Amino acid sequence: MKNFIACCSTVLILCLHVLSASAQQKKISGRVFDDQSKPLPGASVSIKDTKAGTATDADGRFTLNAPPEGKVLVVTYLGMLKKEIVLDGQASYTVNLQASPNSLNNVVIVGYGAVKKSDVTGSVATLKGSELNKTTASSVDQLLQGKVAGVQVTTGGGQPGSGATIRIRGASSLNGSKDPLLVVDGYPWGDAGNLKQINPDDIESIEVLKDASSAAIYGSRGANGVIVVTTRKGRTGQSRISFSTLETISFRANKPDIWQDPVDDATYSNEAAITGGAIPADVPYIGIYRPVGDGFVYFPSIAELRGLDPNKPKWPTNTDWVKLVYRNPLSQNYTLTADGGSEKTKYAISGNYYKEQGTVIKNNYEKYTSRLNLDQKLTKAITAGANVILAYTKNNGQQLGVSRSRIFPVYDSTGNYFRTSATDFGNPIALANQLLNTTKTVDILGNVYVNAKITDWLSFRTSLNSKFGNSVQDQYDPKNSTQRALDNKGSYGSIGNSNYSDLLTENYFTATKKFGEHDITAVAGYSYQKTSNRFSTLVGQNFVNDVLQNENLSTAGTMLISNDLQRYGLSSWYGRGNYAFKDRYLITFTGRADGSTKFGSNNKWAFFPSGAIAWKMSEEDFIKDLGVFSELKLRGSYGLTGNQGISPYQTLDRYGSNKYYTGTTFQTGFGPGLAGDNDEQGRTIVEGLGNNSLKWETTRSLDVGVDVGFFDQRLTLTADYYIKRTNDLLRLKTIAPSAGFDRQWINDGEVENRGVELGINAEIINSKDLNWSVGGNFTLNRNKVLAMGESNQVFIGSLYESVRQQISTYTVGQPMFSFYGYKTAGIIQTLDEGIAAGLTGVDAQPGEIKYLDISGPSGKPDGVVDSYDRTIIGNPNPDFFYSFNTNLKYKQFDLSLQLYGVKGDDLWDFQKMTPSRWMQRWTLDNPSKEYPRANATRGYRASDFYITDGSFLRIQNVTVGYNLKTSGTQAVQSLRIFLSGNNLYTFTKFNKGFDPEVGESGINSGAYPRPRSVSLGLNIIF
Amino acid sequence: MTTMKKKFFIKCTAVALVLVMAGSSCSKMKEDPYGMINSKTFYKTADDARAAIIYAYSILPEVGYYSRGYYIVTELPTENLTQKGDAGVGNLELDELRTTSTNSDLDNIWTYMYRGVARANAVIANVPNIPGMVESERNQITGEGYFLRALHFFNLVRMFGEVPLRTSTIEDASQIPMAKSPIKDIYDQIISDLQKADELLTTERISEGRANRPAVEGLLAKVYLHLASSKAYNSPGYDFVASADDYYAQAKLYAGKVINGQSTFNFTESLPDIFAIDVYKKAAVTEHIFDAAVDRSGDREGSFSKLPNMFLPADRPMTILYNQLDPSSAQINIGQGWGHFRTENAVYSSYNDVDRRKTQLIVSSYTNGGITYQLDITSSSRPFTRKFIDPDRIGDASSANSPIIRYSDILLVYAEACGPTTDGYAAVNKIRNRAAIGDLNPSLDVTSFRNAVIQERAWELAFEGNRLFDLRRTNSMEAVLVKKYGKTITSGAYFFPIPQRELDTNPLIK
Repeated sequence: MKNFIACCSTVLILCLHVLSASAQQKKISGRVFDDQSKPLPGASVSIKDTKAGTATDADGRFTLNAPPEGKVLVVTYLGMLKKEIVLDGQASYTVNLQASPNSLNNVVIVGYGAVKKSDVTGSVATLKGSELNKTTASSVDQLLQGKVAGVQVTTGGGQPGSGATIRIRGASSLNGSKDPLLVVDGYPWGDAGNLKQINPDDIESIEVLKDASSAAIYGSRGANGVIVVTTRKGRTGQSRISFSTLETISFRANKPDIWQDPVDDATYSNEAAITGGAIPADVPYIGIYRPVGDGFVYFPSIAELRGLDPNKPKWPTNTDWVKLVYRNPLSQNYTLTADGGSEKTKYAISGNYYKEQGTVIKNNYEKYTSRLNLDQKLTKAITAGANVILAYTKNNGQQLGVSRSRIFPVYDSTGNYFRTSATDFGNPIALANQLLNTTKTVDILGNVYVNAKITDWLSFRTSLNSKFGNSVQDQYDPKNSTQRALDNKGSYGSIGNSNYSDLLTENYFTATKKFGEHDITAVAGYSYQKTSNRFSTLVGQNFVNDVLQNENLSTAGTMLISNDLQRYGLSSWYGRGNYAFKDRYLITFTGRADGSTKFGSNNKWAFFPSGAIAWKMSEEDFIKDLGVFSELKLRGSYGLTGNQGISPYQTLDRYGSNKYYTGTTFQTGFGPGLAGDNDEQGRTIVEGLGNNSLKWETTRSLDVGVDVGFFDQRLTLTADYYIKRTNDLLRLKTIAPSAGFDRQWINDGEVENRGVELGINAEIINSKDLNWSVGGNFTLNRNKVLAMGESNQVFIGSLYESVRQQISTYTVGQPMFSFYGYKTAGIIQTLDEGIAAGLTGVDAQPGEIKYLDISGPSGKPDGVVDSYDRTIIGNPNPDFFYSFNTNLKYKQFDLSLQLYGVKGDDLWDFQKMTPSRWMQRWTLDNPSKEYPRANATRGYRASDFYITDGSFLRIQNVTVGYNLKTSGTQAVQSLRIFLSGNNLYTFTKFNKGFDPEVGESGINSGAYPRPRSVSLGLNIIF
Repeated sequence: MTTMKKKFFIKCTAVALVLVMAGSSCSKMKEDPYGMINSKTFYKTADDARAAIIYAYSILPEVGYYSRGYYIVTELPTENLTQKGDAGVGNLELDELRTTSTNSDLDNIWTYMYRGVARANAVIANVPNIPGMVESERNQITGEGYFLRALHFFNLVRMFGEVPLRTSTIEDASQIPMAKSPIKDIYDQIISDLQKADELLTTERISEGRANRPAVEGLLAKVYLHLASSKAYNSPGYDFVASADDYYAQAKLYAGKVINGQSTFNFTESLPDIFAIDVYKKAAVTEHIFDAAVDRSGDREGSFSKLPNMFLPADRPMTILYNQLDPSSAQINIGQGWGHFRTENAVYSSYNDVDRRKTQLIVSSYTNGGITYQLDITSSSRPFTRKFIDPDRIGDASSANSPIIRYSDILLVYAEACGPTTDGYAAVNKIRNRAAIGDLNPSLDVTSFRNAVIQERAWELAFEGNRLFDLRRTNSMEAVLVKKYGKTITSGAYFFPIPQRELDTNPLIK
C-alpha cells in the first residue's frame, strides 16, 4: 500500500512536471485524410525527435502538444506514405496521406490468404481501387488498361456496356479460353472480361497473380493468370456516409471519314461501275428511275447533282448522316455508401446507379448495383460474415453506320424510310427507330463464411458462395427491315433467355507459427464448385404485321425453339506452405489437385505444383551496410498451371438431329454427327466424336524477378522475366472429313510466351503542400506457336467476304493471330507492268493493286500470282506496350495524368479505302502509287495492302481535383470536386477516321467509336 | 493428452470429416450430356429407327449438297453454267476446269457426301438390331439406308474416282485413317447395296423425298449405264469393266423395270408441269422418282431451298408466264435471286429455236410493273432455267425440290442402253416430241444413236447435274468442252482432286 502511494505520487509529480512544461509548449491540432479525402482514424502523429505523439480519432482528428524544440510533424499510417510537415507556427494542420503502392508492410491478397508485400515470393501486382481512373466504365476491366505491367487490356470499341479482353503475359491457348480467372473476395467467378456486377467505387484492391507460384493455387484454371478483386469492407472505429457522382459528356474522338460532297460520291460510284464492267443502264447516277418494290427510285445524274442540267433543278438532297446518327450524350454515375464498424461488427453498404449513353442515337446502358457486406465477431474465436451483391443491367440499341450516300434522304415522299433497293437495309434512322434490341440481366451474388480460430496459430475458414443470374434479350426486326428479317421469311422476333447458377463450398485451414528464426505459414483445404448455364431461345419468323413485335411469338408464321444446359463440377484439394528463415530466405510451395467433370474418363484428376524462392538481400548486413537499398529482393518461381476452358460434354459421343420434309410435315431424325457452329463458309461444323482421354492444358512457367527500393521506398522498381510454355493444348483437331466429322477436341500442340515486365514508381516530392510522383510500366511479350500436331497452319476467325478468305492464322513458328495473304508493291501503272508481275485480265490493268509473285508450286516464283504466293504478312501482337502516369498535389489541388501506348502492332485495316482516300485514287491524271482506281467489281485479295502500323500513344486520362476539408464539425466532413478527361488525344499514324485500338486480333472493321469524354465528379463524405 | 490438445483434436477431426464427406461424394466427376442423344440412348425402338432414316435423308437438301453444292460442282465445269464475277476462287476453278486439292467447293461436297455415308452406315449397322420391329418396316428402313449409301458412293466415285470406302460406323478416332479403294471395289459395293435395297424396298411410294424400289432400280440402271459407257468409250479409270454390253443389258433391264414395271411414276406431258411444285409434289403420278425434298415452311436453308436464288437474276422481282408459249397462261411471280449462276451461251445457243426446253424452260424475258425486260445471254443478267422456281416462296425460302432421279432421265438411260432398237427410238423420240423437235434420224448406228441420246440428255437434263458425268463416262470432256466450246482443261477432267483437308488428316489416303 505504501508502495502504491509512493508510486501514485511519483506519477502525480511527473504529471505536474509535464503540465508545467506544457506552458512553453504549443498545442497543435489537425485532421488526417487518406487519398480519397476520407478522414483517417488511427493514424499515428508525432513530432520528430521528440516524445510527443498521439493517434487520430474516429474522425481523423488529433490534438497534440508540440515541445518548443519540435520542428517537424510526422504522420504515418500502415500502407500510406509517411508524411513530414515542417511546423510553421500554425495551430491547425490538414494532412493528406498518399497510399503507398510500395510500402513493404502493405498486405497483398493472394489466393486463400494474404501476405505482407515484402514476403511475396511470386509475381503479384497490386492496384488500389483509388488508383483507377475516374471515368465512365461499365466494368472495372477497362480501367485496368496500362495499370499493371504484363496485363494487356484491349477493348473492341466504345459501345456502352461492352467488356474488355484481358491477357496476362500473352495468349497461351489456341481454342480454349485465353481469359484470366476472376476471383472476387475469394470466390472464383470465371473468365475475366466484364465484371459489371461490381461498382469500381467499391473496389479496395485488385491483385494480379501472374506467375505459376501465385496462380497454381487455382490449379486447372490458373494458366491464364488470375485477377483477384477485393471489395471495400467497413473499418473499426469509424462510421461515415459518402456520396459520389460523375456526370460525363462524351464526344466522338475520331471524325468519320465520309463523302463530304454528293458529287464526289456519285462520280466515284459511276467511275467504279464503269471500270467494273457494268452495262450502261447499270451505272448508278445517270438520271434514271430504277424499280424498288412496287415503286421506283430516281437516281440523279452528276450534272443534276452539280446543278448544271438545264432541264432539272439542282438536286436538293444532301443528308448529313453524321449529324443524324451521332450525338454528344450525357452519362451519369451515382454511388451512395455507408460503412463503419465497432469492435464486433463491421459493415459496408453501397448502392450505385450508372447510365451510359452511346454516342450513337438510341443506344444506352443502365445499371443498378448494390452491395451489403457484414462481419460479426460471434465469440472471441469465431467470426462470421456475409456479402451480398445485386446487379441489374439493361442494354438497349445497336451501332449504326454513317457511310450511307448523302444523295438520298431519310424518308421518301410518302413518309416511309427511303430505300435504294429492295434489299437496302442501310438507312440508319430506319434501323434506330424500327429495331427492338434490349437485354436485361439480373445477377445475385452472395456468400456467407465462418472463420474459427482453433488455436492461436491455427484457424479454419468455411464459406458457401453462390451466384445466380438471368438475362433476357428481346429482339424484333420488322418486315423487310433487315437482311435477318428477309432471311427469316420477312420478319424476325425473338426472346433469348439465359440463366446460370453457381455454387461453391470452400474450406481451408491456415496455420501460422514462428519457431525462433523460422516462420511457417501453411494453407490446406478442399473446395467443390458446381456450375450450370441454361439457355433457351424462342424465335418467330414471318409475322402478320409489326404491331406486337416479339410480344406474342406464337402468332408467327414459323416458330423455332432451341434450348441447352451446360453443367460442370470442379472438385479440388489445395495447399500452400510458406517458409521464411531469418525473415530473409523465403520458400513457397503450392499445389492443387483438380477433378473436373469436363475431362475424359481417363483423365479426371490433375495436379498442379509450383515452387518459389525469394531472397530479401536488403535484410543482409552487407547490403544494409551499403545504405542504398530500402528493399532488394530476388525472386524465382517455377510451376505448373492448367487451363480447362472448354465446354462440357466434349469427351462424350454426342448425336445430332435434323429435320426432313416428307410430303406433309417435317420429321425429326437423330444420328451420329452433331452440327455445331457454322464455319466461315456457312457450313455447319460437325462434332460429336468422343475423346475419353481429353484433359487440361498444362502451362510450365519460369519467372525470375527483382524488387528494388531506394530512399525509404520513395523510388521502387520491379522487374520480371518469364518464360511460359503451354502444352497439351486443347485443340479442335481437324479430322478426316470422310469420317463424317469435322473436328474433335484433343490435346496437342505447344505455345510459348516469353517476356519482360518493368514497373517503376518515384515519389519525387513529398512535402507538406506539394507532392509529386511519377510512375510507369513497360511490357514486352513474345508469343510463338511451337507446334500444332499435324498442322503447320490453321486459319482462324471470320471469313471476310471482301477478300473471300480468313486472314488470321495460327502458324507454327509465328505469333498467334498472324495475318496471311499476298504481298503487294503499290499500284500497277502500265498493263505491261501488271503482266510482268504475273497478273492477268482485269487484275493486270493500270490502277489495280500490284500483288507480288513470290513463290510457286516448286517454292520459287513461277510468273503467276496464285495461292502459292501467300505468306505471313503481319503480326497484330505489339512489340511492347507501356504506360506513364504522374500525380501532382499542391495544397487542396491535385492533377494526375496517364498515358498509354502500344508499339509495333500490325493492324488489318478493312476500312483503309475511306472516301478521303478514294479522292486520291489512281486515275490517268493522278497515277497514284498508293491508292487503286475505282473498280466496283475488284476482287480484293487478302494482302498487305490492308496492313497498317497500329502503334499509338494515348492521353488516357487527365484529372484535376480540388479537395475541401472541413474542420469536422459541420455535417460534411470532406468534399472533392474533380474534372476528369478520358481518351483525350491519340498520337498515331493509323487511319484517321478510326481508333487504333481494335481488339486482340488486330482487325479494323469499323467498330463502335470509342468516345472522348469529360467527367465532372463530386465526392462528399458525411 | 491435455484438454487443450484434445479439444483441438476433436475440432480438427470434425472439420476433416466434413471435408471427406464433401469430397467423396463428387470424386468420380462423372458427367451426362444434357439435351443430347448418344450411342448409349439411341437405336432402341422402332421410332428410333424411323428417326435414324430421317436423319440419313436430311443430309440431301443441305446447302453443301443438293441445295447448292452439287450444282456448283457438276454444272460449272460444263458448257451449261458459269458464275458471277465475285463468286470466289472455288467456283472459278471448277468453271475453268483447273481444280486443285484446296478447292473449297470440292471440300464442301466431299464433306457432305461422307456425312451422308456416316448417317447411312448408322442405319445399316443399327436398325437390323433394334428389337421388336415389324419386319417389313425394318426392311424398308434398312433398304433405304443401303440406297442412300449407294447414292453417296456413286456421286463420290463419279466425282473423285478412288475414295475411302467407309461401310462401318466410327466409334473412335483410331478408325479414321483409311486408304482409298479401287474404283471397281466401290462399284461392287454400290451394286451390292442397291441389290439389297431392291430386295428390301417396296414399290409403293412412302412419301415425297423418300426412296422406293423404282428409285433403287433407276439408280441401279444409271450405275450400270455409267459402267457400260465408260468401258465402251474408254473413259479413264474404267478398264476393270469386263464387258460393256453386259452392263448395257443390265442398265436396260433395270431402266426397263422403271419404264414398264411400275405405275407410281410416269412421263409428264407438259414441260412446265414437270417443274411445277404443286404438280410434282401433289399429283398422284409424277416424273420425280426421287428428290431431295424441301418445304418453304422449314426453319433453315436445308429444310427449305435457296437454290432458285442461285439461278434467278438479281435485278428486280420478275413476273413470267407459267407457260411461256401461251400468252393466256397464268402470270407467276417468281421474285428475284442473286444471279450467282449465269447460263452459258454454249448451251443456250445449242438448242433448236423451237425446242420447248428452251422456249418453255428457259426464261429470256420477264415483266416487272408492266415493263418487259429482255435478258441478254452476254450480259450479267442472262436467260435462266426455270426448273427451280417457287411462285409461293416466302422470302428466300422455297419449296423447290432438287430432282435426283427423274423419269425422263431413266427413259433416256433406257434409250441409251437399248441402242438403236425400236424400244430405244421410242424412248428417245418420246422425249424429243415433247420438246417439239421431231423424231431422231431413224437410221443411226449404235454409236451415233448413243451419242444422239447423250446430246438429248444434255438438252433435257440441262442444269440438273447430269452433264458432267455424261461427258466423263463418254470420254468426251476434251472433245466437247475443249474442241467444241473452246474451254481449257488444266486439271480434274475425269476425277477431281481429293480435298487437301482429307489428305492432311487421313494418313493412309496417299
